[in-house]
Amino acid sequence: MKTIILGVGNLILGDDGVGVHVVNEVKKRIKDPNITIDEAITGGMNLLDLILGYDKAIIIDAVKSETSEKGSVKRIPIGDFNTMHSCNPHDVSLIEAIKMAEKLGETKIPKDIVIIGIIVKEIPCEFGEKLSKDIAAAVPKAVEMTINEIKNLR
Amino acid sequence: MKTVTIDPITRLEGHGKISIFLNNEGDVENAYLQIPELRGFERFAQGRRAEDMPQITSRICGVCPVAHHFAATKALDAAFSVEPPSAAKKLRELMYMGYFIYDHTLHFYYLGGPDFVVGPDAPPAKRNVIGVIEKAGVEIGKDVIKHRAYGQKITAILGGKATHPVCGLPGGVSKGLNKDEVKDIKTMVDSCINFAKFSLKLFDDIVLQNKDYVNLILSDPYQLETYNMGLVDKNNKVNFYDGKIRLTDQKGKEKVKFDVKDYHKHVAEHVEEWTYIKFPYLKSIGWKGFKDGKESGIYRVGPLGRLNVAEGMATPMADKEYKKMYETLGGKSVNSTLAFHWARLIELLYATERAKELINDPEITSQKIRNPVGEPGEGMGVTEAARGTLIHHYKLTKEGLIDKANLIVATTNNAGAINMSVRDAAKGVIKKGDVSNKTLNMVEMAFRAYDPCFACATHTLPGGMPLEVKIFNHNKKLYKTLRQNL
Repeated sequence: MKTIILGVGNLILGDDGVGVHVVNEVKKRIKDPNITIDEAITGGMNLLDLILGYDKAIIIDAVKSETSEKGSVKRIPIGDFNTMHSCNPHDVSLIEAIKMAEKLGETKIPKDIVIIGIIVKEIPCEFGEKLSKDIAAAVPKAVEMTINEIKNLR
Repeated sequence: MKTVTIDPITRLEGHGKISIFLNNEGDVENAYLQIPELRGFERFAQGRRAEDMPQITSRICGVCPVAHHFAATKALDAAFSVEPPSAAKKLRELMYMGYFIYDHTLHFYYLGGPDFVVGPDAPPAKRNVIGVIEKAGVEIGKDVIKHRAYGQKITAILGGKATHPVCGLPGGVSKGLNKDEVKDIKTMVDSCINFAKFSLKLFDDIVLQNKDYVNLILSDPYQLETYNMGLVDKNNKVNFYDGKIRLTDQKGKEKVKFDVKDYHKHVAEHVEEWTYIKFPYLKSIGWKGFKDGKESGIYRVGPLGRLNVAEGMATPMADKEYKKMYETLGGKSVNSTLAFHWARLIELLYATERAKELINDPEITSQKIRNPVGEPGEGMGVTEAARGTLIHHYKLTKEGLIDKANLIVATTNNAGAINMSVRDAAKGVIKKGDVSNKTLNMVEMAFRAYDPCFACATHTLPGGMPLEVKIFNHNKKLYKTLRQNL
């Protein structure tokens, strides 16, 4: 089973970069030729391009939620994300990109797409490379959840 | 008019927010658009190696990485007093055309287009690219995907990476083109030219042949008679990568033309208490509030701004389309906000034609692609991002580290105009307190035309085309909230 693990985020925007911090840790612990581990600073169409051709995609990203606690980590099947949008007025959401690809007969969409979401409250608006305390504390848990996600495949 | 004070706590972070204030009659008295602005760049940049700026700044924004990459690279050319070899300039410009091809395609088909192709009254669930494909057909959908990807591929071949290029260096670029790459790019560019022509025809069929749409484009709420700003070449033709900054008035007459290093001589910034965004305006005219017309120094940038300041396009087919637009919409300047969409497609055609010129240029495979740099100093660099004029300004230490850094981004240049467009659209659609869901879209159309780049995290989920409209009654009490994608 061909799997891709993508840490999504912007390393110069504080907590937004948490997905990349997590994937860097995951990289140290998984060595498997069937698993691609990478980082991406993008969403929507570009993100879809990156996961095409894999059986499973695990996307690790900061997720904004009003109801969940900051720094908690959630496993979210992509189907639950019906309002998911790329936070960027110039792109479509990953869901929209997937729906469109399906409509156009794309056959390489992964059957299983899972988001490992680290809950944030605010999208950072200040440049910086450090994670805030709560979000840094969530990294080990997100790493474990990602690795469990892989173990479940075997 | 009553004075409206908005608590600074409501200053916006993280998403776009529009506050609309109604008067006693329930009509719109005023409206404010608050756009998040990333802060702390100067402090963040200080002490870093100057040559890292093209990579770092390309990460500022998931939308215009290539524009930031080259604005930074050009600022470094200036700061290190080095002129890149001619081949390097052509490689940079070719890559820049790839960026315009994917960016403008994305905007027209995915973001702006749905309002026209599917229709401004269609429910939000249909007003998206899926709706466009349903209406235009699967084959067109496939073509859209293909050509957007071609633009990305061209950028990736030249830049090393599609989304965050690594090729720009002070004095040139790090990588040239080999013969196989040239062949690949030629094939893609030819296909892109046809696609751009097709897109203009689609616009003609769906929009221009529909009287209601033409009337909408020309309707009052979407008119804004500001000055315009954009880069032009030595013949005053549109140029995305290089040239002088030209400003023209409401009739298309040149107001001023200058080198980027003189930007601060001509443009000043106005501060409002309700937003972090600073509003640039023409110094010689002055800040007169959120007003358009000759007496107000506010200007517009972006596709329509660029076409308005120019005297045509530098490539033949795009130039023909340029003339057609001005003939159809009543001559210079076109002041209709919704004409941004048309201008964008004309620019798409120009980008493809210009890419063809560049890839056919024998010098494009030259390996003389970098000149040695001089002593570190101060420099400014300008490019046209897809959404308007973008400027980077660096002052370096003797060791070549960043001492001071400042960015003037396209959406900031457009901030005053976007705010007015939002207000005028709101005035046009909200009467006697009657606020419907259509309101949100008509207001949204006013600012979507600018393709604004809200400086936000690139993708934090769920994020969204983040828009919240709060409508207050004459007592400043919250009357209604409309939200989208929050």
